[in-house]
Amino acid sequence: MAVKLSANYSKKLGLPQYSSHSFSASVEIELTDISQVEAEVQKLYQLLQHSVDQEIQEPGFVPQASNGHAQANHRNYPSQGQIRQQSKSPRQPRANGDAWNCTDGQRGFILRIVSDNNLEKQEAEDLSQQLFGLGVKQLNKMQASQLIEDLLVKAGKPARQTRWQQRPTQRQAA
Amino acid sequence: MNTQAPPKEEPSEKDIIASLQEQVSASRLNLFLQCRLKFFFRYVLKIKKPKTASLHVGNAVHAVLKSWNKARWVQKPLTLIQAHEAYAKAWSDDPDGIPWKPDEEAEEKTTGWRLVNTYLRESHLPADVKPDAVEVPVEANLINHGLPRLIGILDLVQQRKVIDYKTCASNPNSEKAAHSHEIQTSSYSLLYRHNTGQQESGVELHHLVKLKNPKVVITPMPPMMPRQQLRLFKQIEAYTEGLQRQDFIPSPGMQCASCEFFNECRRWH
Ligand code: SF4
Repeated sequence: MAVKLSANYSKKLGLPQYSSHSFSASVEIELTDISQVEAEVQKLYQLLQHSVDQEIQEPGFVPQASNGHAQANHRNYPSQGQIRQQSKSPRQPRANGDAWNCTDGQRGFILRIVSDNNLEKQEAEDLSQQLFGLGVKQLNKMQASQLIEDLLVKAGKPARQTRWQQRPTQRQAA
Repeated sequence: MNTQAPPKEEPSEKDIIASLQEQVSASRLNLFLQCRLKFFFRYVLKIKKPKTASLHVGNAVHAVLKSWNKARWVQKPLTLIQAHEAYAKAWSDDPDGIPWKPDEEAEEKTTGWRLVNTYLRESHLPADVKPDAVEVPVEANLINHGLPRLIGILDLVQQRKVIDYKTCASNPNSEKAAHSHEIQTSSYSLLYRHNTGQQESGVELHHLVKLKNPKVVITPMPPMMPRQQLRLFKQIEAYTEGLQRQDFIPSPGMQCASCEFFNECRRWH
């Protein structure tokens, strides 16, 4: 019996003036054996991602001003070159090997908390596993931020600004 | 030889405005759109005002809910007694000092605890569902949209749902609450998406209502829609452009009744 495999890859990128554009590509192939699925999925993913990335670099028409109002555009919209650059480096690469999923700043902060407070790297790893069931490198930005909070508490440091300290009178109205 | 460090220079008004232009939060944005002069007094001139009783209640309630959520996350749920201890500790943490009237503090303290007690007893936070985040500071760089960095703190994220706690004195109306808190809920959705690469499953406002018989009102909302994101972006744009123009005019209205800068405002011209 033939096995049908269909794959789709889509990507959406932000553009100036709150606009965005997206592109997706799909293929459907037939396999003779179900054991081919894993290898074929890997190939198709690479192929589709490459194709979409190639095409999405051209944003085409981009609106210049909103609401028909003449406006001084003092904001720094990305140039087409920058958009191309962004499409080649997605914001949240999947962690593999030595790569971290969070930002470089978060990575540096986590390592600094560990070294400045004589913590073992393993303690950070254990905390990450306890909270998220993931290793430190796999954490997304929100999880990394949470880990930083908890590491600071573990190290006996005051956590970063809490919400109510940050907003002195917000709660009255809330 | 003079070994004293030179006194740290206070940032100028221009510097403060420039840094406010670089970073925005839902509360700053809300205040700016509500009254630009009040925003100016609070964030540019940084005029200090004593903490109010209702703010103190809100803080203590939030602190104990944070402890409660953290404890169930690591599968060591707090008993009601432990929660009460956490509440009492948060209550006594009062660096700013509040000019209490006689008996007011004891009454307010009881009110706050009754809110927490009601919320926990009604099991709005089942112990077996693990949070994804508890009071986590997050930020989103919106430079691709020509906008400043958005920052915020998420009270609770659970099963991809962003939950925000509020204490209030009267029953909220769901539709109005969804509208009046839209800047905040859209900001949280956006922050969640930027920081996880996923779409939130929804946003919920958990209002703890200070009635004689305390009540919890939950307002569930679907994930942010594209037009809500667009509204938020336009509001942020108005904020940055208003700051650029130093547009700090008063907007007299209903909100003036509870404005702590009323006297300063009367002198403004
Ligand atoms: S009194 Fe009213 S108009 Fe004046 S600053 Fe306060 S909120 Fe604004």
